[in-house]
Order: sequence, then structure tokens, then C-alpha cells
Amino acid sequence: MDKKMSIMVVDDEEIVRESLYHWFKKYGHIVETAASGFEALEKLEKYPFQFLFVDIKMPGMDGIELLEKVKTEYPDTLVIIITAFGSIESAVKAMRIGASDYLLKPFKPDQLSLVMERISHQKKLVSEYNYLKGRLDKISRFDNIIGQSSAMASVFDIIQEVSQSDTSVLLIGETGTGKELVAKAIHAKSQRSHLPFIAINCGSIPDSLLESELFGHQKGVFTGATHSRKGFLEVVSGGTLFLDEVGEVSPKMQVNLLRALEEKKITSIGSREPVEVDFRLISATRRNLEKDIDNGTFREDFFYRINVIMIEIPPLRKRKEDIPLLAEHFLEKYSQETTKHVDHINRDAMTLLKHYDWPGNVRELENALERAVVLSKSRTLGVEDFSFIQPSGIQFPQSLSLREMEKGYIKKILEEKNWNITQAAKVLEINRVTLHKMIKRYHLARPIH
Amino acid sequence: MTPSKKCIGVVPFGDVPVIALKIIAAHISVYFDLLPQILPPLKLPEHAFDQKRLQYDAGIILRSLESMDSNPCEKVIGVLKPDLFVPIFEHVFGEARQGEQCAVISLFRLNKNPDGSFPTTAIVYERAAKVALHELGHLYDLYHCEDEKCLMHFSGGLDDLDATSLYLCRYCSMYLKYNISH
Repeated sequence: MDKKMSIMVVDDEEIVRESLYHWFKKYGHIVETAASGFEALEKLEKYPFQFLFVDIKMPGMDGIELLEKVKTEYPDTLVIIITAFGSIESAVKAMRIGASDYLLKPFKPDQLSLVMERISHQKKLVSEYNYLKGRLDKISRFDNIIGQSSAMASVFDIIQEVSQSDTSVLLIGETGTGKELVAKAIHAKSQRSHLPFIAINCGSIPDSLLESELFGHQKGVFTGATHSRKGFLEVVSGGTLFLDEVGEVSPKMQVNLLRALEEKKITSIGSREPVEVDFRLISATRRNLEKDIDNGTFREDFFYRINVIMIEIPPLRKRKEDIPLLAEHFLEKYSQETTKHVDHINRDAMTLLKHYDWPGNVRELENALERAVVLSKSRTLGVEDFSFIQPSGIQFPQSLSLREMEKGYIKKILEEKNWNITQAAKVLEINRVTLHKMIKRYHLARPIH
Repeated sequence: MTPSKKCIGVVPFGDVPVIALKIIAAHISVYFDLLPQILPPLKLPEHAFDQKRLQYDAGIILRSLESMDSNPCEKVIGVLKPDLFVPIFEHVFGEARQGEQCAVISLFRLNKNPDGSFPTTAIVYERAAKVALHELGHLYDLYHCEDEKCLMHFSGGLDDLDATSLYLCRYCSMYLKYNISH
């Protein structure tokens, strides 16, 4: 039996609560009591009890109803039904719904010990199952990139393909979409995976320093160069260099990098001796580089050199079906990191997360979950825990009628889903026929390009 | 009156053989190194008797012990001959609330072996001493122990009770010393 378990005794009879409370205390368990099903649910919201001992006959919410709610909201919590002789039928029903065991009142003290041993064993099996299930869930993950949407499935396919070659890859995506994770995944799957992966954020380093960081410098070549230093292009030796925010690199530096890519040789600042380098380049940007080429701020030859294969990482608002999976992942991550017992997101909160546009993408979602877990006083995150999220959506004037709002919202979702009826109907949680009817009713039409 | 430290009261409820009380007291002195004191007998509270179950409610007896006037001891163990129960269980050999002041034990089920035979008086009193020491352990906040030989191991029946020793395991012994001194 586990050394210490968390147990709640739910019974309207004080004497039963008291007896079981004192009994479990003798084993050093964490014990709580509740006089009704409602009180039990309130306490479960705040603390994740492992076991519930529930009396079947209680006024208000009976044991069966409580069991149903617990199994829906907190499936990991094991429920043991306590019943008096004569209500065996209810006990059988409870077992069918998902009770772990039942006890007939009054029972022998060692019967309770046996039940505890049995359910502890069952709990262990459940943990093992969850572990295995967790491993299976990882099928939805791809080297720490989480997503089961069709948009991400295409990204995973491209990653798989490009990782086998040595060509330069350009990752396009808004801030927070996980460009570095994709770069790492490509590296991890490539033949260079045992060699270094070096990431440099070009946007955060001044041009003069970036040159020194990439190409290295000789001792005394500028103020502060107290010793010679190898550049990352040399240090990476055989690995992968990830240049984030490559759109911020100055045209002069673009020339230097272009030469390094073509000649596979670099010369550190202050040196005349070129050094051979070998690296795979992955670049990333959130800018429209083609526009920058038109503006003359980005070199076309460099663009084509770094952009042999382009991978576009979709923003989170275009793969909203991944939000629950991501939210659960971050919930688990921060629940463990903060050691707070927060393990649920209620339906309303999940709806809020799904309908928010996430301009900061996955990073913003991660930060939101971290903040909610840290500040939450309950084990279930509700809408109030995400009050800092300002639902974006389309802005409607206050005088808009319900009909106009509905029309506007349907139009927005259709546009977001590129008029894919199946996908839009899924987001709107209506069937396709209803959506067609609404399109007709509101005279909505697909724009002609 | 302020309870004097380390004094353990042994209180008979109704007609309890004096020899049983003396043996329990001697075991408390030897095995727990505490100072037992046999207190004057108390009357069994009538309202503790359950007419349906024909047993005494251990919880009610504990409450009557707790409200006992002029109790000179830090902990008190009540001893009675009739059978004891707590509402959820068919019976109990004894009952104590974790870390509290009073416990109660019954001699009723100790004088008949599970196979129907009758044990010697020595065995009956040794069983009584084990139950009393086990409940006293709970009063000093010891939990049920997983070590089957330890006095604090839970005994559901007489077979289990006979299998446990009068000694505490290393850990329970350590906790007992600590809890007594604090």
C-alpha cells in the first residue's frame, strides 16, 4: 500500500465520517470528509484526492450521481462505494459506472484493509496505463512539436524529408510559432544530429558583434578583444547553425554569409588565413523577405541561397484544433514545475482558449498557461483564471443585432478556414447542412479571386 | 488538574479482573517506559450500548473518558469486558483517536481462539496487553506500521494479533520516544 494517500470520506452521517476519518488517520493518510456530494465536488476542485469513499444514500446528490460526476471530471480519482445491506443493486450499478469497489456496512476492519490494498494495486495499474497512454500520445508530438492538425502534419512531413538532405532551409512564421523547435527537429533527425546545434538570434545582436560572433576574431583586433576567439561558423563544425530573425542581418553581413555558404571557408576578423567550415544552415524569419528584396534591404542572391526549401509554420489561429492538446501539455508541464496540483481546464475556459486568436502564438499560449497555473487557487482552471486574455475576434459595434453578429461570426470562420465547409462547421460546432443553410440565409458568398 | 507527564491511567469500566489491569500496567511500564496508574473503576455509560448490535459504541465510551473529572494522567486507557464496535466496523479490539488522550479496549474477543478453542489465561492477557499498547501507540501519534512483527501493525483478527510482537519496530520505537519527549 502507498505510504500516504489522499482520501475523502463522503457520507451524510457524521458518525461514519468520523469513524473512517480516524481509521485512515491511523495510517498517516491525508483525510478529508464531506457531508454531501456538493461539498465533495467543491473540495475536489481544490485538492486532487486519490480515493473517495462514498455512501450511496445521501440527500440531495446521492452517491451514484456523485460517482458519475467524479468519473467525468476527475477520472483518475478512484471511488469506493459504501452501502448498507439491502442496497446491493445500487452497488452493482455503481460498479458498472466506474466505482473501484464497494463495502457493505458494517464491515470487518481487515476488509477495509484488503480493499485499500486492492485499489492501491489498481491505482498502480492505472498509473502504468497512463504512462503507456502518454507514450502513445507522443505520436501526436514530433520532437517536442505538438500538433495533430492537418497543417502541422504537413510541417512534420516536410521536416522528415528535409532532414535527410543537407540543403539550406528557411522557416517562415509569426513570432512564437516554434521556428526554433522545427530547426532543432530537423537537426535531430539529420545525419548531423550528434554534432552541435547552435542558434543565434540575429535581431538581438548588433551587426558589428554579429560578425565577430559568426566569424570569430584575432586578439587585439578591436578594443576589448583581449584574446582570439573562434566564430560560431567554425565552432559548429559539422553541425547545424540556426540563424533566427535572418531578415535583420545587414546587407554587408549577408554578403559575408553568402560567401561562407558558397566557399565553405571563412576568415576571422583580423586574420588573413581562411578556415574551412562545414555546417548546415537553417534560417528563420517572421518578415516578408520578398518585400524586403523589393525594398532593397535584403539581397536576392542571399535569399535564394538560404531559401532552398521553405517551410511555413502556421500561426496558432489557423490550427485551433491543436489548442486543447497544447493547453493540456503546458498545463501538465507547469503543474509539475510549480508542484501545484492543477490538472484540469474546464470546458468554458477551453472554449475561451480555442476562440482567442493568440497573436503571440504558441509562446503566448504557453505563457498564459504558466500564469494561470501559478496564480490558480483551484485544481481546475476556469475562465476567471484567464481573465487577462482579451478575446479578440471581430469587433462588432455595440448596436449590432444578434442576427448580424451571427452572420459576421460565420463569415469570419469561413474566411479563416478558406471556405472549407467541413472545417468551418467543426469550429462552429454545427453540422455541414446547417452551415449551408446559414450561408444561404445570410447570403454569404465565397469571394472570387 | 494539569495532567502529570508520562502518567498513563488504566481505567476499568465495570467489572474487569484486577489481574488484567495489572498486566496491562506492567506492560506499559516495561515496553513503553511510562508510569502506569490503575484508576478507580467507572460505570459503563448505558447510552453507549447499542440494542441492535448488542455491543458498546467505542466512540461514546471515548467521549465519556475524555469528560472524566480530575484525570491525573497524560493518557488514559479504558478497559472493559463487553464487545466494542465503531459504526462502520463489525467489531474492534480497541479504539483510539490519533494523537488524542483516551483509548478503550475490550477483552471480549480475546478469550476464544478463531478455531473455537480456548486459550490459556496467559495468552488472553498478553493479547490484552498488545491491544492496550497498540492503542497507546496511537495516542502518541504512531501510525499503523507495515512491519508485520511490529506492535503497531494492524491486526484484523486474533491470528494477526498473535503474530505481532510486543515490540515496536525500529522506526516506530524512534517515533514513540520522540513523541513522548515532545
